[in-house]
Amino acid sequence: MNAKTITIANLTALVDDLVASGTCVTAPARAAGGKVDYRPITSFPEAAFNTELPRRSLKEFFLPPTEPLFSWRLGGPGIRISEVTTSFAPHVILGARPCDAAAVEILDRVMGWDYRDELWFGRREATTILSVACPGVDGSCFCTATGRGPESSRGSDVMLTPLGDVFLADVVTPKGETFVGENAKRFDDARGAAVTDGASRTSNAAAVGQPKLPLPEVQRWLAHGFDHELWSTIALACHGCGACASVCPTCHCFDIVDEPEGVLSGTRRRNWDTCQAARFTVHASGHNPRADQAARLRQRVMHKFWIYPSRFGEVLCTGCGRCARACSAGVDLPEVLRTITALAAPGGPEEAAV
Amino acid sequence: MNIYQPTLMTISDITDETSDTRTLRLAFQDPQLAERFDFKAGQFGEYSAFGAGESTFCIASSPTRKDSIECTFKAVGKATKAMRELAVGDTMGFRGPYGNHFPLDRMEKSSVVFIAGGIGLAPVRCVIWNVLDLRDRFDDVTVIYGARSVPDLVYKRELAQWAARGDVKLWQTVDPGGQTPDWPGEVGFVPAIVEKAAPSAKNAFAVVCGPPVMIKYTLPVLQKLGFADDRVYTTLENRMKCGIGKCGRCNVGPVYVCKDGPVFSAAELAALPAEY
Repeated sequence: MNAKTITIANLTALVDDLVASGTCVTAPARAAGGKVDYRPITSFPEAAFNTELPRRSLKEFFLPPTEPLFSWRLGGPGIRISEVTTSFAPHVILGARPCDAAAVEILDRVMGWDYRDELWFGRREATTILSVACPGVDGSCFCTATGRGPESSRGSDVMLTPLGDVFLADVVTPKGETFVGENAKRFDDARGAAVTDGASRTSNAAAVGQPKLPLPEVQRWLAHGFDHELWSTIALACHGCGACASVCPTCHCFDIVDEPEGVLSGTRRRNWDTCQAARFTVHASGHNPRADQAARLRQRVMHKFWIYPSRFGEVLCTGCGRCARACSAGVDLPEVLRTITALAAPGGPEEAAV
Repeated sequence: MNIYQPTLMTISDITDETSDTRTLRLAFQDPQLAERFDFKAGQFGEYSAFGAGESTFCIASSPTRKDSIECTFKAVGKATKAMRELAVGDTMGFRGPYGNHFPLDRMEKSSVVFIAGGIGLAPVRCVIWNVLDLRDRFDDVTVIYGARSVPDLVYKRELAQWAARGDVKLWQTVDPGGQTPDWPGEVGFVPAIVEKAAPSAKNAFAVVCGPPVMIKYTLPVLQKLGFADDRVYTTLENRMKCGIGKCGRCNVGPVYVCKDGPVFSAAELAALPAEY
């Protein structure tokens, strides 16, 4: 990594430069008296770095909750299709949390698997992500358990780490290199001391320290744990509302629906959907392979910690903890994982079964 | 054109198979695509009626017949009901072909037993015509097909064609009570007729599609007849939206049915959790 530094004054000027050039800048920002979300800012003081986690992740900037896939219009005997663009205006995300930035890169795997999702990658290519090392949020955080941490630069193009009144700026990707090059006057070369100063990093890590999940054991248990009573026990509380999937930075299930606009035209859209919804898997015959909430809750855990890792080599979870915070029924994914870890432990109650 | 945008097809023919099941023949509007399009038996597509949405069906015609593709469906949901309203000359959308296929290469020089129930004949019919169009590459061909009642039998004209051929052994059956006075075929559930027909498992493959309950009771019969479970193939019909491994809907355990399927051997099926 190339190390640079950037002062608060220069960050302020950088945002001004970007906004003046017509680039959309998104940062965690607090609505007046309200909650923190990633939202467009017009000046750096609007950004809020040392706060609770933004309510929603970065997912919506790459996979919007609803987006047109194409439009059609009846014309004469046939149908005319209007394509949607797959090239997008430059976008800078400033102050992404490492758990949110990592999620986007994890999702590149499925979005690029065999068939390349041009809408996803069009936005990915147009977007530069500058993350900020996370100060830690609360007891629902478990990024360290999923193998990353509050300084993880995964998914970031530039990684900012606060060092007193400046930020250390590590260039992570070629896109980050280009970005820093284009805005060179706002960055300074890092002095030796800044590069080697790891003090703030370790304190950050301690703030959200949770033991790393023994993923191979967890996956082995999940592969054989389909019929375990754990699922129905947890699901007794679950309402099946899908709030967990909505706020999740990696849940990416979607529906495809037609929305007629009058009689002669309309738009096909994709909308967020969730495996927690009862009708998600219903066959045309009425048969539902996942007929109860236990099966649906199990699917969410299985997909994140067994199916996705088996297919794409990494867990579909960055430990942001939003699902646990959002759940009105108190379903707590970190707790579920701790339970599974205990069940899967050598000498634990399930070892013989596995 | 993004991966979710369909290509445009013109309905060139409509066949009513039963009172609620219809076959549409679709021709590509883009002549270059018509020329280029290719698929393998067992693959599926996303078919759409604009304004109502997409539905997932197998391509029911044989890849050996190039000029068009066919799909067979029951009008059950919003999209299929809208498709049923369409007429010859109307435009539909199609994305595909997607998914894996039946291992025809592996089946060559062997006997093939086709077993289907109800509208499950659609994916099997594709393979049957594929095999019959290359008839000299295969040994015995047996077709065992059942429906709830005589009017529920699909592809009746083709059943008559297969019955008239000397190189196909055809068994047709309807559920008890579903027969008409002049019904010349069998009366009984498909698994029982498979047992009665007792096709030889020697150097043979079986292709089985139909309602889950039919498959459930047919697989043990095939096992008893000596079919190894890696020589018995079926298709899974999980609900799909994207068809290309993105939307997360068709997972069964570690499998994405749209990418790893829809064709699975009985051995592969046995290793999956029962979420299909």
